[in-house]
Amino acid sequence: MRNLIIASGLLTLMAATAQAADIPTEAQQCVTCHGDKGQGTAQGPMIGGMSEQYLDAQIENFIAGRRNNTLMTLMAQSLVDLPARKIALSYFAAQGSPLKGQLRGDKIALSGAEKLYYQGDLKRGLPACYSCHGPAAVGGGSFPRLAGQQADYLAEQLIAWRKLERSGDHDNTMGHIAAKLKEDEIKSLATYLSAIQ
Amino acid sequence: MMIKKALLALTLLGGTGVAMADTYFADMQEEIPPQPKATNLGYFAPRDLSEIPKGAFGDKIRKGYELFVNTQQLNGRSVGNQLNCTNCHLDAGAKAYAAPMWAAYLAYPAFRKKNNHVNTFAERVQGCFNFSMNGKAPAIDSPELVAISAYSYWLLMGGLLDMFGMQKTAVPELSDTALQQGGNIDDFKLPGPLSDKVKLDKRGQMPGRAFAKLDKTDQAPSPERGAKIYAEHCALCHAEDGQGIKMADVTVLPPLWGAQSYNWGAGMHRVNTAATFIYENMPLGKAVQLKPQEAWDVAAYINSRERPQDPRFEGDVAATAKQYHADDDGFYGKEVEGEILGTKAFPATTVK
Ligand code: HEC
Ligand code: HEC
Ligand code: HEC
Ligand code: HEC
Repeated sequence: MRNLIIASGLLTLMAATAQAADIPTEAQQCVTCHGDKGQGTAQGPMIGGMSEQYLDAQIENFIAGRRNNTLMTLMAQSLVDLPARKIALSYFAAQGSPLKGQLRGDKIALSGAEKLYYQGDLKRGLPACYSCHGPAAVGGGSFPRLAGQQADYLAEQLIAWRKLERSGDHDNTMGHIAAKLKEDEIKSLATYLSAIQ
Repeated sequence: MMIKKALLALTLLGGTGVAMADTYFADMQEEIPPQPKATNLGYFAPRDLSEIPKGAFGDKIRKGYELFVNTQQLNGRSVGNQLNCTNCHLDAGAKAYAAPMWAAYLAYPAFRKKNNHVNTFAERVQGCFNFSMNGKAPAIDSPELVAISAYSYWLLMGGLLDMFGMQKTAVPELSDTALQQGGNIDDFKLPGPLSDKVKLDKRGQMPGRAFAKLDKTDQAPSPERGAKIYAEHCALCHAEDGQGIKMADVTVLPPLWGAQSYNWGAGMHRVNTAATFIYENMPLGKAVQLKPQEAWDVAAYINSRERPQDPRFEGDVAATAKQYHADDDGFYGKEVEGEILGTKAFPATTVK
């Protein structure tokens, strides 16, 4: 019941904000929380510039309860019209500013978060984040863009995996990695990644 | 934990000498026997990259690291596919049982019965350029090979010094020609107290070298079963079509077959080599551990797809198969799904 009330309140809110002509109708209901280009707002994380494949998998994860967030779960549950969902997601996937990719090897003596990102930690069996998230954390395929994402959101996600509150990543690929990260590393990785422009 | 020092101690090899001449790479991808996995031994740990010394010698080491993780900077010159050394020699050549460079460096020069030839370390690196990278190796004395040799030497020597409590000792500098040789030679000197502590024999068997032995399973490797394993555990990263994933135009997840992967002469094309690599190292991060049978099957699957031609091919797959693949555990020249593999291979060595 309460959910329904929240939902209807949301709808009114959204009708008022999203009007930009170049945004497909299907995506307009997302803009309130994710921004007109999916850049993120105080109500929701960045989703612009991530692959459609990744975004769609997350909608499914919210629907199936493998990720939990009152507002977004409700939104996801409303996205049952698959062709409409596709239009919304492909709009956001096409956003996101291009990045000048820092390649593996461009810098050598690294420390902290940047070192974990580009070199990993062999002793703990932690592969470099780069191996999966790519140059400058731009992402692609099943791998989300991390560059420019809100720091708090990034940290929350890594912690959610550690607490077994987020799943749905194929073969627990990311959960296995998050479990090996220390709390201070999570903080510094989140800060580092969110600052990449 | 440290490697049992005893493993490193023994007599020096009696002067095998080093034949540098007639660099013929015909069978340079000869199989290195996999080792039983050492249990209970901490693996050797190289020094942190930030400890690479300043100056000209350090610059060579840094260049070697950079080439190792971004070999694509040589694409079109020495590299003919989308791979980087670190795609197979994981963690920039530092990971045990992913053919680490520190263990390799100590194993060369290595005498090869087959061609009665002694291969130096740099010559072995050339082998991977010609086959694994489907390219044309830089010359033995090129800055690239000197740099990769310097980096490999530094991985080994820094780790050895640390292992024997000499954290403060700088890695001794070597000349370019000495660097190309490798550590399995009389005049490869270990500094100070190491010189008599570590009399190196079995230099080719440093724990962690090459790949860990994976026993054969009851059922013969099957590409059909392997296809299912592939879809379930590999396609996420290497893509359904095996072509990997690019991000911002850079290949991040490497291709496993097709025009942009290793060629039919590469060590990884053998089912046994790939199976041991995969069992130990894939899926990357090891959130799941494959069963031995699954590793054999998926290795058979990826290695029964077409890839660039064996560069030793002279127009006849059957002849090439007979001459170079007679006793290797691979699919070259064999029929799979109605096609003889190798007959529709992609061009070998696209670089001029
Ligand atoms: C009321 C605010 C709100 C609205 C409206 C909303 N979302 Fe969200 N969305 C969120 C929040 C909050 C999160 C983060 C959830 C979490 O922390 O797990 C999120 C997360 C997501 C994610 C996962 C992002 C990632 O990086 O994993 C996707 C995909 C997404 N939303 C898509 C959409 C789409 C598409 C729409 C429109 C149809 C939409 N959202 C509308 C609040 C909203
Ligand atoms: C072996 C591959 C792999 C490596 C290495 C890896 N990741 Fe991931 N990561 C993934 C996958 C796959 C996902 C998407 C999970 C899903 O679909 O739910 C992901 C998702 C994430 C997310 C969630 C983003 C979002 O928008 O919700 C964060 C944060 C993250 N990774 C951070 C990192 C960091 C930091 C590192 C390095 C310490 C790292 N990853 C290394 C595979 C990897
Ligand atoms: C497609 C995977 C792959 C790539 C890419 C690759 N190699 Fe290799 N390399 C192997 C395999 C497999 C072996 C083990 C050979 C065997 O058993 O036949 C090997 C062996 C070696 C060895 C000898 C190891 C030993 O212990 O004797 C060296 C040195 C080497 N590679 C260097 C390199 C360098 C340098 C590069 C980049 C220019 C490179 N390799 C790229 C797969 C690869
Ligand atoms: C989570 C992502 C991921 C999964 C899943 C994965 N790999 Fe990989 N694989 C990689 C990455 C990344 C590399 C390169 C390592 C590096 O650069 O650090 C690699 C390298 C390889 C290589 C050597 C490089 C090449 O192109 O030949 C082979 C062979 C391989 N993987 C096979 C497999 C097989 C078989 C599976 C399924 C059992 C698998 N991988 C699953 C990410 C993955």
